[in-house]
Amino acid sequence: MSILQDFDYFKPTTIEFAIDLISNNKNATILAGGTDLIVNLKEGTATPEIVVDIKSLKDLKKIEFKDNCLIIGALVTFTDLLESVVIKEKFPLVWEVSKTVASVGIRNRATMVGNICSAVPCLDSGPLLCVYEADVNVRSSKGKRKIPIKDWFLGNKKTALKHGELVTHISIPFPNQKTGGCYVRLGRYCGEDLAQVNVALLAFANNAYRIAFGAVAPTPLRANKIESFLNGKKINDHLIEQAKELIPDEISPITDIRATKEYRMHMAKVMFERGIKTAVERLNGDGLEYGESLV
Amino acid sequence: MKKKITFLLNSETRSIEVESGDILLDVLRDKLGIKTPKIGCDMGDCGSCTVMLDGKTVKSCLVLALEVEGQEVTTLEGLMKDGMTPLQQTFHDFNSFQCGFCTPGMVLSATELINKNPKPNRKEIQEALSGNLCRCTGYIPIIEAVEDLIGKGKGEGKEKG
Amino acid sequence: MTNYKYIGKSAARVDGIAKISGAARFVDDLDFGPNLLFAAIVESSVAHAIIEKIDASEAEKMVGVVKVVTGKDFPYRFGLYMHDRYILAQDRVRFVGEQVAAVIARDPKTAKKAAKLVDVKYKELSPILNIEEALKEKSVLIHPELKDYTHVPWFFPKANTNVAHLRKVRKGDTNKAFQEADFVFEDTYTVPRYAHCAIEVHGAIGLFDHSGRLTVWTASQSPHTQRHLFAEALAPLGLSHKDVRVITPYVGGGFGGKAGVSMEILGAALATAVKGNPVKILWSRAQEFYNTYQRQGLTAKIKLSCKKDGTITAIQNNLFWDAGAYVEYGANVVNAAGLSATGPYRIPNIEINSYCIYTNLPPGGPYRGFGYSEFLFGLESQINEAAKKIKMDPVEFRKKNAIRSGDKLSYGASMNQSGLAEAIEKAAEAIEWGKDEKSNDPQKAIGKGFSLFWKAPAMPPNASSTAFLKFNEDASLNILVSGMEIGQGYQTVMAQIAAEVLTVPPEKIRIENPDTDRNPYEWQTVASHVTWGCGNAVKRAAEDAREQIFDLIERALDKDRDSLFLKDEMVMSKKEPGFKLPLKNFVIAGIGKDDGTFRGGPIVGRGMFMPEFASALSDPETSQGGKPNVHYTVGASAIKIEIDKETGKIKIPKVVLAVDVGKALNPDLIKGQVTGGLLQGIATVLYEDMRFDEKGKLLNPNFADYKIPTAMDIPDEIVSILVEVPQPDGPFGARGVGEHTMIPAAPIIANAVEDALGIRIKSMPITAEKIVLELKKQGLFEQTKEEYIDNK
Repeated sequence: MSILQDFDYFKPTTIEFAIDLISNNKNATILAGGTDLIVNLKEGTATPEIVVDIKSLKDLKKIEFKDNCLIIGALVTFTDLLESVVIKEKFPLVWEVSKTVASVGIRNRATMVGNICSAVPCLDSGPLLCVYEADVNVRSSKGKRKIPIKDWFLGNKKTALKHGELVTHISIPFPNQKTGGCYVRLGRYCGEDLAQVNVALLAFANNAYRIAFGAVAPTPLRANKIESFLNGKKINDHLIEQAKELIPDEISPITDIRATKEYRMHMAKVMFERGIKTAVERLNGDGLEYGESLV
Repeated sequence: MKKKITFLLNSETRSIEVESGDILLDVLRDKLGIKTPKIGCDMGDCGSCTVMLDGKTVKSCLVLALEVEGQEVTTLEGLMKDGMTPLQQTFHDFNSFQCGFCTPGMVLSATELINKNPKPNRKEIQEALSGNLCRCTGYIPIIEAVEDLIGKGKGEGKEKG
Repeated sequence: MTNYKYIGKSAARVDGIAKISGAARFVDDLDFGPNLLFAAIVESSVAHAIIEKIDASEAEKMVGVVKVVTGKDFPYRFGLYMHDRYILAQDRVRFVGEQVAAVIARDPKTAKKAAKLVDVKYKELSPILNIEEALKEKSVLIHPELKDYTHVPWFFPKANTNVAHLRKVRKGDTNKAFQEADFVFEDTYTVPRYAHCAIEVHGAIGLFDHSGRLTVWTASQSPHTQRHLFAEALAPLGLSHKDVRVITPYVGGGFGGKAGVSMEILGAALATAVKGNPVKILWSRAQEFYNTYQRQGLTAKIKLSCKKDGTITAIQNNLFWDAGAYVEYGANVVNAAGLSATGPYRIPNIEINSYCIYTNLPPGGPYRGFGYSEFLFGLESQINEAAKKIKMDPVEFRKKNAIRSGDKLSYGASMNQSGLAEAIEKAAEAIEWGKDEKSNDPQKAIGKGFSLFWKAPAMPPNASSTAFLKFNEDASLNILVSGMEIGQGYQTVMAQIAAEVLTVPPEKIRIENPDTDRNPYEWQTVASHVTWGCGNAVKRAAEDAREQIFDLIERALDKDRDSLFLKDEMVMSKKEPGFKLPLKNFVIAGIGKDDGTFRGGPIVGRGMFMPEFASALSDPETSQGGKPNVHYTVGASAIKIEIDKETGKIKIPKVVLAVDVGKALNPDLIKGQVTGGLLQGIATVLYEDMRFDEKGKLLNPNFADYKIPTAMDIPDEIVSILVEVPQPDGPFGARGVGEHTMIPAAPIIANAVEDALGIRIKSMPITAEKIVLELKKQGLFEQTKEEYIDNK
């Protein structure tokens, strides 16, 4: 089915020209993997006048680890992440999340930057980047800007990206101590599904914890109360039970076609429990291998 | 807005004029006569439109024709330049199809899998094929065919006559 | 036992190479040249309304728009069993998505853009979105003119109500039986609507040429039925059946959804509006969900009584079907289910009411299982509950009450020969019934479930099949039949049947997809009947050819006819061991005589089959007296599941289906049906589900939210057990099996969930969420949790 809306297509070869195009046109949209955009164009929910395909901007295709920081360029697909040695070794949680995104044919095209720019509440990358306290790096004609992930998501499909800005990459600081991570995602079946609840957890060697939920509020969110309750403590069953009691204060799930708020709330607790245990186990060098589903 | 694109289609350079809103799947089927990628959902969910773009499977219903300028597109037609591949032969022997509609996409996804990972385990096979929906077979004959091909089958591969 | 050379063997599929190589062409793959037009449909945005005005002037002005047509261009009613449908809506719309107008344009993009410009003014009526509303005393009538509709004689519409048909079955005295019974169980079970989800969408291309010939290419299970309905509906335009030609290439999955006529009528009708130009209409995936047939929803109120010893004494089964806006096909689902709603049990006292109820939801219709999956969920759940309440093993309970050959069916006819008892034994053995299994993981509960199943082909008593069989010079064969290869392997089995009779190997037999001009009549490829019905026709065609061959050999070569037989593509004689005449020497050329003349000529076989013993006529109040069903295929199914008690998620380590196929003509193909059918069935239980909003709009017309299983969602092990108690009137003893493999999926899982957790889920689907919420509701969740902590 062709797209009904007429638009102009550009494939700039320099980042400057790309930025020119999006700054000088009120109704421009960026095309990277296109797995969300093309659907929106077909459905008529996106009606841009110009589409700027950034796939010729080779600089944005980089996965780089330098100065203790991971750079994920705007053109890096989930398949690229899965195939990267540095990801598998240093950021196994990024690998675990990437593995749950859709299916191969989508992962070969879809990018993590595209994922956070679409900013749907159930996005897989959201909780992950929250627990890593990543930054979103954007460029415009005015220069560069670094947006902490906590300030990035403004609402359902709303981000802090301003007119004329292009996301160039995500940067993830490498934790300065040993971590164990876990990503748990709830689907209606084993195949590709939009998460009904997702949670990313990172346990640090010094008994610090970072926890972020997705699909249970308009944006992904850090579970600050749970984190401060747990921080400094060694995880045990009793502690987990207490922490679970805090979950209703943290999240506000809704009932929709995919799940009821009751089940979402229930599963958030189950997933938190299983996730935190696994994260700690992984921190200690055992536990399930990364990539194994906990639900 | 019309633009001319040039790309490699099944090892042959092709040039064609397309509109900005034209989808690769439609251009392949309607303008270039390549019919094995099928329209199943048109929204990237079913995998029957799967083609390879520079060796990687993509849902051609989610790709603008303009995007493939200078790239290489391979469909089932291209895979079969020298006749049926061993994977196709195994699919045939295992009845890994019923209505045959999802088959081209399924063959391409399975081909990509064994190109990348010559000895996948069952779970890896399932994951690799999970973007290709099949409503007829229950998938088991497809998975078993891949296992047989890579020498991990139960030896049930049969001579058919 | 007869030794067959081709029958009973897993011959390679004759359509295999075509499909694996991508050579197989589906309807959307056909090219029609630059003159091809495209149609886009203007659809109703409301569930129930009077159409006040349609303004297409803006659309008509667009460059590239050829024509806009509306209901007034085609004021004809049509339908398969009841004429209650329209090509385009007339004065009112009855469901969201109903076709109101069509825009025909030079390209699909223009057609779609123009369709958005057509302005339709509606006066909304209150929509009837459930059976309770529809059955209210003063409910709005969805079809006020119901009493005027023509329909088959076995339907009983209730004028001035929303009940399009009521099938009543009465036998014995249920009231008395309930009073006298030791136990009576009563409950209500509900089943939502489901979508077929063939991966290929519906499509049709129509061409009405200047000579008055209408050709329609469709993705269909029913070329001849389509031709008939097109000809009937468009007869006012002067068309007769001979003028209408339906060509059906390979079909990308049917499951009942491409039976009868749904959107294809548009291809036929629109072609007549743009004479001389082919016009194409292809459904989107969304339209596939909301404007083809859907599996109807069901509310079943079941009352069952039994004695202390486990003998079932009576059943009352009230089936309320949410049949949708048009029931021209769906009413027969209701009818078929009503006739068989006892399940495969011998029950002396029976009261069944099967109500076909109009609602303002999309039209219901045929779906693999034809109503049996739906009623079996409640019935087999209830049977299980009954067994448990009287403390009898559920399998023993079923064995005790299972129907046997010769037993009287609910409508008085006799049950056919069947291997039901053997199927029960084998299914129970395969699942290790009775062996208590516990998971090593305290969070997991293991449960086993069991169910019987049955189904008869639901078809008019005179549904028939025909076959032509043509020999070629090299004694290869082309067989002309009009059954559809929808994936099941029909063509392969037809080839095997002819091969067995004529000793020509299947790989020398080609069967093309139908063209109603050239291929002889077949009713439809539905009801799991083509192996049986068309198989008989092909067998007779092959036998006809064989007899012609023997006639010729006797006449031309003066051989003793009774001694002749075929072997290895040659004619041989029991009397003359040296006589071996290859078929290829004479099946086209004939047999040369010494004087240079020839005898014989091309051999063409013809075969026909109609079940002359069937009758749909019976007493409308009791259904006694007819023989509406030709036979039942029966079986038993069992499952082992593992439930995560915290998440409600179900895993399936093993599922077993034992079915009496009469004779397995091609065991691998049947195994394919079992594997595919079970998974399709399991998905309807675990996650598939159509959801509508409060205005009747389908909320999930896409694979993003209507989930069908992927390669990751399969059971660990599927065991198919083929029982063979021959069907005397089937080809080589075969009966159909295509639908049966998904029918027992719901009760086996529901019963296994009950076995594992002690909760009875009475509404489908049985999602993980529903299990958890039910455990919580019953206070079992916390208990389970405490046990878990204690165990640790």
